[in-house]
Amino acid sequence: MMMILKYIGRSFKRGCIQLVRRPMYFLLIVIMPLLCSWFLMDLIKTGSVQRVPVGIVDMDNSSLSRRISRNLNGFQQVNISHRYNNFAEARDAVQRGEVMGFFFIPDDLENLALGGRQPVVSYYVNYAYYAPASMQYKGFKTISLLVNGGIVQTALRTVGLRNEQIESTLVPYQTHLHMIGNPFTNYNFYLNSTFVPCFLSLFILLVTAFSLGLELKSGLSSQWLKNSGGSMFLALVGKLVPQTVLFTIVGWFIQWMMFRCYDFPLNCNPWHMLSAMFLLVVANQSFAVLMYCFVPNFRYATMLCTLLGMVSFSFTGFSLPQEAMYPWVTALGYVMPIKYYFLIMVDQALNGVDLYYSRVYYAALIGFTILPMLLSWRLKKECLNPVYVP
Amino acid sequence: MFLWFIQVLRVCGRELLLVFRDQGVVIFFLLLNAVYPVLYALIYNPEVVRNERVVVVDDTRSQLSREIVRRLDATQEIAIAGYAANMQEAQDAMHRKECYGILHIPREFGQSVGRGDQGHLSLYCDMSVMMRYKAMFTALSNVTQAMGNERMAMRVEPVVSMSGAIVENRQVPVGNPAMGIASTVLLFILPLVLQQSMILGIAMLHGGSIERRRRNGGRDPMAIEASPGATIVGKMMCHQIVYVIPVIYVLHYIPLMFGFPQNGNFLHIICLAVPFVIAVSFMGQTLSAVVNERESVFLLFVFSSVVFVFLTGVSWPRYLMSRLWWLVGDCVPSTWMVNGYVLMQTNGSTLYQVQHPYWMMWLQLPVMFTLAYVVERFINRRRYRSWIAASEDNPRILTRIDMAKNGVG
Repeated sequence: MMMILKYIGRSFKRGCIQLVRRPMYFLLIVIMPLLCSWFLMDLIKTGSVQRVPVGIVDMDNSSLSRRISRNLNGFQQVNISHRYNNFAEARDAVQRGEVMGFFFIPDDLENLALGGRQPVVSYYVNYAYYAPASMQYKGFKTISLLVNGGIVQTALRTVGLRNEQIESTLVPYQTHLHMIGNPFTNYNFYLNSTFVPCFLSLFILLVTAFSLGLELKSGLSSQWLKNSGGSMFLALVGKLVPQTVLFTIVGWFIQWMMFRCYDFPLNCNPWHMLSAMFLLVVANQSFAVLMYCFVPNFRYATMLCTLLGMVSFSFTGFSLPQEAMYPWVTALGYVMPIKYYFLIMVDQALNGVDLYYSRVYYAALIGFTILPMLLSWRLKKECLNPVYVP
Repeated sequence: MFLWFIQVLRVCGRELLLVFRDQGVVIFFLLLNAVYPVLYALIYNPEVVRNERVVVVDDTRSQLSREIVRRLDATQEIAIAGYAANMQEAQDAMHRKECYGILHIPREFGQSVGRGDQGHLSLYCDMSVMMRYKAMFTALSNVTQAMGNERMAMRVEPVVSMSGAIVENRQVPVGNPAMGIASTVLLFILPLVLQQSMILGIAMLHGGSIERRRRNGGRDPMAIEASPGATIVGKMMCHQIVYVIPVIYVLHYIPLMFGFPQNGNFLHIICLAVPFVIAVSFMGQTLSAVVNERESVFLLFVFSSVVFVFLTGVSWPRYLMSRLWWLVGDCVPSTWMVNGYVLMQTNGSTLYQVQHPYWMMWLQLPVMFTLAYVVERFINRRRYRSWIAASEDNPRILTRIDMAKNGVG
């Protein structure tokens, strides 16, 4: 027992010295994750896309068309920044990136409308920019429906219908949307409650892979192993625990920023998320160790961690939901620890459901931690005879 | 002048040799560009959300409510997963992720509509992914509007002669007619893959050179003696040569392979890429000064891709960014390249129409070159000289410093 403690102490000391002697570690464990998290949250702090710059082409210039453009400008979704004389000018403006779409009112709109000959107003939305396009669509769609409503309303009032009757005639089915957990469709809440932890886990993967690889590269791995009495497990613990502590503190600080400073939805006991963060840190470290167990080579293991860490922003289903992806991509998503953190976050912080429903995800994160222990003999073999391939 | 040019050519030749001798750099320069865009394209290729599962709680059970559910089920976006007896049951299904939305048709719905009042419907959406919410919302509003218009026409017919809407409206999605996510996100990512792979490769080459210097008492046996300016320009020429094929492949053939919008003129795109590749090469040479060994490039530069992607405005438009982030974005070549490239490919803009990003990249060139020059002359070379001086006193000093960092001694 005393021996084990001694070995742990020795390898722990070695891990700490390595952390302190390279300023790069401090930069990548503390400064950069915090800076990047702040960057993402500060970038989107206003929360929703508004005032999309759009143009309007009014070929009619009637009282009706002027009313449309006036009302449109009153919407918060769009901002009529330019007026164009004809279609060609407006198209050129879209191509130059001056506006992100335009509303087209054709010739003779008022005449045709009042004559009941169904004129068509059209809106050209540049879907190259996705979020502004959705907002424009909302604004343009609403205004076109209001145009309709305005004309019918006048007609119905002349025949003596009451206001409630007019309303129920115009909109017979009223839909109410309940956006659970994020009632204002705040983009910051949606994007950053997943992207920021994913960013952190990229850092964890990189730093773990790098610090392990350095032992192999410098040829000091056999000494590292001897230091902890030839036990791969103790050697890993000594080396990685100092990093775990730092990363967990940084992770909790980031969570504090999210849930307290930026008011992200937190509908569960805070400990559920704090423990998920700790598990995420450990699971990611174990994931990097696992990569070394599969390919005990500095460059390939680091590359694998980098590749998976980067692509996990996409294939874990933050932007395109998992059920829409190809099955193999969805399956690949379940390989990464961040996927389970994401599911826990959705269940606990966003929806506030019982812990019972998230039990599998917590278990999966713990499973990541256990897995490399079963395979560490492969890493040990490599550590005893390190071969550095540049 | 002539001698300077010879120096440039020699540096360029040596750099080419180093690139192709180094497996790691070849992976970055060629393999990464070949594989990464394909991987991303495959992830996002389904483009849109189809058949999002929704559970219905129908307390009315009328012909009308069944009609609504039937029509919702027929939309592209929604698939009805089933009926739940009450809200508790539906909630449980949602928590088990058997559905992502609940449509509640309250008991009064049928009565209200029958009486001629408004009928109210509720849709509860899971908000974990915006595309899900958007799909459900679009489908429901399309269905209720279509049914509402029919009903309105039926009731108004005796008063106002009309058979549907008075003013029809039509959305024309331009640039990305499928309104898919792959067609927009991928075009933003493609130039960024070029930029990041190049920076990583350049930094790894530099890291290799630093390691050779550390082993050889501060001197790099593979380096060519040349002035700082000639070194930078020579390396830049090499990167241009290596990147001819990746640029064409990534910017032209990837959209072709996956059927993304490709309205840009090929020649115009190449013209846009020229200042971009030069600027990125200078930027890479500037940034690589922080690299001390080959593998630290992973740590130091990989994460910057995410930051640069956001600065281009892919998910949060640039016009809404604060002054600070707007300016930071202006300094990165990818911001301009991406915005020019996206407009070209989606909306078929000509080089003339995207001249603003184009000229901004040319403007970045002298700035990036000056930075690279300053770094090469006043940081790198000074460091090498101090290493040479130090190792003349003690030949083992450089390796010993390196060992100490690994926790030995």
